[in-house]
Amino acid sequence: MSKQFRAAISYAAIAVCSLLLAILLILLVGCDVGKAFYGFFNGILGSSYSVAEVFVKAAPLILAGLGVAVAFKSGFTNIGAEGQLYMGAVAFTATYVLCPGLPKAALLALGILAGFLAGGVWALIPGALKARFGISEVINTIMLNYIALGIVGILLQTALKDRAQYFPVSPTLDDGLGFSRLLKGTRLHSGILIALVCAVIVYFFIFKTSMGFRLRAVGMNPRACKCMGISVSAGLIVSSLLSGGLAGIAGVGEIAGLHHRLIGGISPSYGYLAIIVALLGGNHPLGVVIAATGIAALQVGALAMQRAANVPSAIASIIMGAVVLLILARKTLFKRLLREED
Amino acid sequence: MMALLEMRHIDKLFFGRYANRDVSLQVQKGEIHALLGENGAGKTTLMNILYGIYRRDGGEIFWRGEAADFLSPKDAIEKNIGMVHQHFMLVPTLTVAENITLGLREKGYPFTDRAALSARVAAISEKYGLLVEPGALISSLSVGERQRVEIIKLLYRGAELLILDEPTAVLTPGETAGFFNVLKRLRADGCSVIIITHRIPEVMEIADRVTVLRDTRCVFSAPIAELDEIKLSEHMIGRELAPPTRGKATAAGGEGLVLAGIGLQENGIQRLRDVTFSARPGEILGIAGVDGNGQKALAETIMGIRRPTAGEISLGGRSLAGLSVAARKALGMAYISDDRHEDGLVLDMDLAENLLLKFNRDKRYASRGLIDQKRVLQKLREAVGEYDIRAPSLRVPIRYLSGGNQQKLILARELSDHPQVIVAFQPTRGLDIGASEFIRQQLLAHREMGARVLLISADLEEIRALSDRIAVIHKGCIMGIRDNSDDLDMTEIGLMMAGNPAGEVRAG
Ligand SMILES: Nc1ncnc2c1ncn2[C@@H]1O[C@H](COP(=O)(O)OP(=O)(O)OP(=O)(O)O)[C@@H](O)[C@H]1O
Ligand SMILES: [Mg+2]
Repeated sequence: MSKQFRAAISYAAIAVCSLLLAILLILLVGCDVGKAFYGFFNGILGSSYSVAEVFVKAAPLILAGLGVAVAFKSGFTNIGAEGQLYMGAVAFTATYVLCPGLPKAALLALGILAGFLAGGVWALIPGALKARFGISEVINTIMLNYIALGIVGILLQTALKDRAQYFPVSPTLDDGLGFSRLLKGTRLHSGILIALVCAVIVYFFIFKTSMGFRLRAVGMNPRACKCMGISVSAGLIVSSLLSGGLAGIAGVGEIAGLHHRLIGGISPSYGYLAIIVALLGGNHPLGVVIAATGIAALQVGALAMQRAANVPSAIASIIMGAVVLLILARKTLFKRLLREED
Repeated sequence: MMALLEMRHIDKLFFGRYANRDVSLQVQKGEIHALLGENGAGKTTLMNILYGIYRRDGGEIFWRGEAADFLSPKDAIEKNIGMVHQHFMLVPTLTVAENITLGLREKGYPFTDRAALSARVAAISEKYGLLVEPGALISSLSVGERQRVEIIKLLYRGAELLILDEPTAVLTPGETAGFFNVLKRLRADGCSVIIITHRIPEVMEIADRVTVLRDTRCVFSAPIAELDEIKLSEHMIGRELAPPTRGKATAAGGEGLVLAGIGLQENGIQRLRDVTFSARPGEILGIAGVDGNGQKALAETIMGIRRPTAGEISLGGRSLAGLSVAARKALGMAYISDDRHEDGLVLDMDLAENLLLKFNRDKRYASRGLIDQKRVLQKLREAVGEYDIRAPSLRVPIRYLSGGNQQKLILARELSDHPQVIVAFQPTRGLDIGASEFIRQQLLAHREMGARVLLISADLEEIRALSDRIAVIHKGCIMGIRDNSDDLDMTEIGLMMAGNPAGEVRAG
């Protein structure tokens, strides 16, 4: 048995376990398993709208997931993609609110840059603290999530509030100024293309450039880097900036492509799901794209399952949690099967 | 007599290549069995199979006459087989006693009586002369001390067969002698030992029987009584050994690497005190000393990895103060660390990437921020050829190379591009005799080309063979510097290593 084959068996076993768990949970809440599964798959593949919906959700997950993956590669445990995403959204909103009358191309270019920088700086703060003083980034990135949400709340009451509205929402982005719609009758916008382009760029950066090389080296053995004259702090600074920047672009996409205005809950925890995406995707850009699409599909399907068979969509979260656990524990669980060469 | 351990016709493949092919090994009770062979011959692999870390692809193992199949190290330890790896496996953030009892369910677990444990550890360490402080943190110990911890750990678990993978590579001759006494006492107690080493005199001294692997196969096995050193080394490398000769002094005039009054204080500990010497172009300055006497601090201070708190270092008349590690490397300063896994390599990167650790900003291999894979690969091929690096493939993580081959890659990387200064800290550690010979020749060649070579080693013979002058370090102080002539007073050197500032100190 080849190594790959054994690995494949272990993944298949995980899939089967998850499926059994799903069936068990559906039975437990007293629903019809057949109906539920039909609802799930129909909800994903049933119409062009539903398929498009998967990619609508995949776009921010890919971007934020790439960000987290870049951070993880350099040993920077970025738990703050959620806050960085919101900061990107704020920056884009501020751009079109503060600079009305910009043509579309200029607005998008400026807005994406602003979003990248805002998200980037949001990650750079804990990044620099770690690089300079060795302060753990885990707590700091989480704390900055709360601060970012607080800032969004305050801005929606003040500077970015649409005066004409009673609710705390920002002015709406003029029609035709945001990301283009890709498919008529769906919500699919060009954010997914930006995400895929970013995936290619990140791949190229990480694996082909010398800066990317240093970043990976820092993540794998900072001590050796120190001895070889590769700056660990520079690696952390670059990776945190890039990481937060990618999450920031995810936030830009949510405003420019989907909501067209800033509101409180633009992200259903994309920033946290991005961590799972990065882990499942093995911190590799291609893996991130696949994992993000898979998780987006799982979410879309779960909502449809809820509508079709009255199965609580929370089951999807449970399954996702279980899958992550199983995959992370895979090497231990399948020790006998995989034992070799590690 | 039934053998304690018998391995018959063992096969093992990695990535479709043999690492062991039809290897057999027999160990009797109360026998010290030396396992010899070149780097990459498959010694560690064979032992890992025995210890339950790898699965064999063919062959049989008999333990106390019964077919045995150890599925994990835990399994092996339960059957009284213990192994100390070539690269230690201790938890640096735990104490000695904690490491020794790690994973054991002691009486009263989880409310183990730590004080009693420490006392038992101390008892074992005293009984065998394996001196360590049970309460000390592993991270604060020298390599030699860590090894003692590893051995105590096995004895604590009642090992009857000890597998020791290159245990003496990190020891000074004095320590080695003490260590051999431990082994002899163990043998007298009826324990068996499999010892892997590259040092033939040691084999002659301690082993009862020898097995030699070459190129994955078992080529030879005989009792030591039938052998002598020359025969043995021929069996090992398949040819006669040509010990390097230093030739006449090549030290040129001109500015060398000069350390003036270097002091290093860290967390209130004085690691280096008033270190003053110079290494001239074309000179090898040997730094002798018992492991853990500030050698690491010295090497790292010279390389800019640590900042001295007193004194100044200059190269070619130019002060190095304030220069980063990268800047020093750019000046042609090469560093071979004693700890290749921590300091010298990124184990999960492949061979080419480990070369790139040095060349990632080098115009030849990375232009406009892009890595030139082709050039790097070409460079790697040259290095692999020149240094005879044996790798299952050029694309595997360097983790999968044998220890000696990992070291060769470091040397190939550090010695390229005519370094001006070479800080060589245990450069031949873990290398087989052929490869050591080659490295020594390389160091001598660089000496001839005018490099300033600092050879820091606990191996006095190596220092004597290569150095023009010998400085002795003890507790962070240079006890004295002597010319390495034929009539060098070795007793004096020994005294200095033990901390006696013998005679007046001749400044370099
Ligand atoms: N886990 C592994 N995966 C792939 N190849 C491996 C692995 N371990 C060892 N090898 C290969 O098997 C061969 C034998 O390696 P081994 O470590 O047993 O050599 P060794 O005799 O201990 O050498 P050294 O004296 O340098 O320690 C080498 O070519 C090595 O690259
Ligand atoms: Mg070995």
